Amino acid sequence: MKRMKLALLLSIILTFLSACSTENSSKEEVNSSGDHLKELTFLSNFPSETLDPHLNWTPLRAGMVETLVKMTEDLKLEPWLAEEWKSEDNGQTWIFKIRDDITFQNGNKLDGEAVKASLERNIQVSEAMKASLKIKSIRSEGQMVVIKTEQPLPQFPSELVHPNTAIIDVSESKIEQSPVGTGPFKVVSYEANSKLVLDKYQGYWDGKVQLDRATLTFNEDANARTLALQAGDADIVYRPAIESLETLATEQSNVITVVPSLRTHLLMYNMSNETLKDINVRKAFDALINRNEVVESIMAGQATVANGPFLPEFPFTPNYEVKSFGIDLAKKHLEAAGYEIKDGKALKDGKQLSLQLFTYSYRPELPLIAQLIQSNAKQIGINIEIQIVENIDEYLSQNSDWGLATYSLNTAPRGDASYFLNSAYMVGGALNPGHLKHDKLIEKINELNKTVDEGERNLIAKDAITIIDQERLHSFIVYPNNFAAYKNKVQNWNLSKSEFYVLTKDTGVK
Amino acid sequence: MKQIGKRLIELLLFLLILSFISFLIMKLTPGDPVRFMLNVDDVSISEEQIESLREELGFNDPVYIQFGRWVLRFFQFDLGQSFMTNQPVTEELAKRIPASLALTFSALLILTVISVPIGTLSALYKDTWVDHLSRAFALIGASVPSFWLGLLFIQLFSVRLGWLPSMGKGTILHMILPSLTLGLVMAAVYVRLLRSSLLESLGQDFIKSAKARGLSSSRIFFFHAFRHSLIPVITVLGVSLGSLLGGAVIIEVLFAYPGVGKLAVDAIVRRDYPVIQGYILFMGLFVVTINILVDLSYRFLNPEIRLKELDRN
Repeated sequence: MKRMKLALLLSIILTFLSACSTENSSKEEVNSSGDHLKELTFLSNFPSETLDPHLNWTPLRAGMVETLVKMTEDLKLEPWLAEEWKSEDNGQTWIFKIRDDITFQNGNKLDGEAVKASLERNIQVSEAMKASLKIKSIRSEGQMVVIKTEQPLPQFPSELVHPNTAIIDVSESKIEQSPVGTGPFKVVSYEANSKLVLDKYQGYWDGKVQLDRATLTFNEDANARTLALQAGDADIVYRPAIESLETLATEQSNVITVVPSLRTHLLMYNMSNETLKDINVRKAFDALINRNEVVESIMAGQATVANGPFLPEFPFTPNYEVKSFGIDLAKKHLEAAGYEIKDGKALKDGKQLSLQLFTYSYRPELPLIAQLIQSNAKQIGINIEIQIVENIDEYLSQNSDWGLATYSLNTAPRGDASYFLNSAYMVGGALNPGHLKHDKLIEKINELNKTVDEGERNLIAKDAITIIDQERLHSFIVYPNNFAAYKNKVQNWNLSKSEFYVLTKDTGVK
Repeated sequence: MKQIGKRLIELLLFLLILSFISFLIMKLTPGDPVRFMLNVDDVSISEEQIESLREELGFNDPVYIQFGRWVLRFFQFDLGQSFMTNQPVTEELAKRIPASLALTFSALLILTVISVPIGTLSALYKDTWVDHLSRAFALIGASVPSFWLGLLFIQLFSVRLGWLPSMGKGTILHMILPSLTLGLVMAAVYVRLLRSSLLESLGQDFIKSAKARGLSSSRIFFFHAFRHSLIPVITVLGVSLGSLLGGAVIIEVLFAYPGVGKLAVDAIVRRDYPVIQGYILFMGLFVVTINILVDLSYRFLNPEIRLKELDRN
């Protein structure tokens, strides 16, 4: 009797377990043409708490939605849903011609009215986009959309590269769960911060979509992402653990890909501090940064030395002065600033040069860079006290006791210099907690803000960046890399510098 | 009926005090949701625009006015909208709570399955190799960080053996590794607690009396000693349940399991005040309910308490 009970119990458990594992043991699926279903799983570190494209980047990254303007991999603007655009009044009124051959994933045609409705919703739900686009009115007629901004905004087309400006059919409900866009993939199912399943959109306007199905999953732990690739739970893993790259590369089935990002790690100076107003002091600090050591030791080789705020590929990047590291060089600059190094202390008017350096732990390399600067500064008698704060932006903007800060930001997220120049160098800019005020630079930025012609804008931006470079208004340290690992069965997948375009119609599997 | 009404008023007062304290702490802690809402690290914004939105949203008003507004909405069963998603807080919580409850109770099941036999055996075979082994288990369990144990489990069960999914949510298989990690780490404490509690119970007068009455050893053990020894275990469990439900953030992150703990951490980082308040309210309610259940369980586990209450009435 006992044996019978045991056998019954075991059979129940086995039935239960086999029911649970149907997902793994199910028959190989086929697509509508009867071919083997082409699918892949992409695992990223950016969780998605909503699928509302006007609040979250995932819909654009996943190829569900598209924007009017796109940034190419060589960092230039390119028409996407908009065929062309122009401004006839120095950047206050913009006329966009929308492509005529596009339908949303529900079959509705994309026209000027749909674009107008989408942009109107965009500025209604997103305070950030409202502040960025500064839209006063939108008018549509057929495939034309006329947008008037509150003030001249020559960089308006580049603002429309932002993932949150994606165009969706606003007549659909449940935008936060299943937005309807024009991209190559449409939503099948979605669970916030966990899993997004997409199927290809058969009526996609820009050619054949290679994948039948794509699954996006999220995990914020780099080690867990690495293990998921090894376990076969993911085909593409965005940012695996940096220390695992070598091991992953040794496995033949894996491919590692690395590109420099649009982000720059930098050292900020607080110009409210009298000491730092002296360019020679700033030059001394700049010379104390061993950028190569940052790349090799702190960033494990996953970064590129930065001599200025923007990657050299941008058309508005000037020829930066190559920054040299040297304790003696720093000493020379410090002496030029009137300091005397005596008994291991950098003294001026009998007072030692002493500063507070603020940093934050969200990017673990930044406190390490701060320590490197502290250690080098000590060699020429500068005393640096490091403080780690949780919310660096708020601390720096609301306090004046800081002298230096290691910081990181996306300097040209949409292929235009004006975001960084306006935010970081204009008085009252949200990224100007150090109260930088350089009249000649402000004049250049104002000129940039009034110029529409792209060629002219690039020249003005070059001038502005040259001033920043020569005056050492910030010290730019490194451009960290974006990296990913994927299975070699994945085809035509490119790691995007901008991190905007992850899944495209061309992404496929063998 | 009167008692239930009294209990409900007490509960409401408790929740109001709790939410006021958390509201006050949030407002006194540095952090600005407006900077997150305006994506300052991505969109060209001026300090003037930040200040203007802060004013528009009423963040510059005195704390008691802001709290008053929140309380008014609370009495209309409206917990507000998340700054992160623009969705009602109740919906955000409702999406995560079932997953967290499932994880909590499955971890609890594993904890029980592990700690009860080991704790019992180590009490029954005190100072033998069984007891030493259980002590070693408890020591290792208490010392191993949960995220590390989780990574080891992924390496073994997902990468090497390929038996279980390494992350995510969906099937029962997805629940096994996070529950096992949570349950195993917590079981260490309960093994020792149950052992000491059992040893104490076994030395009580009522056990000697039961033996004198000629009851069988197994009956004495299970119906008297074991039941009595559960009181401290249940008390600690009541406290642990709250932290299991809302505090399993590391496990939620590691296994990409979308629970309420991760939601709360994200909300704190972004200063999403409505979500934080909603979370605190829910957790307060949960902890109070569990404590009431723990109180009720005492009457069942220890007849003395029940009899004393009857005498009083």
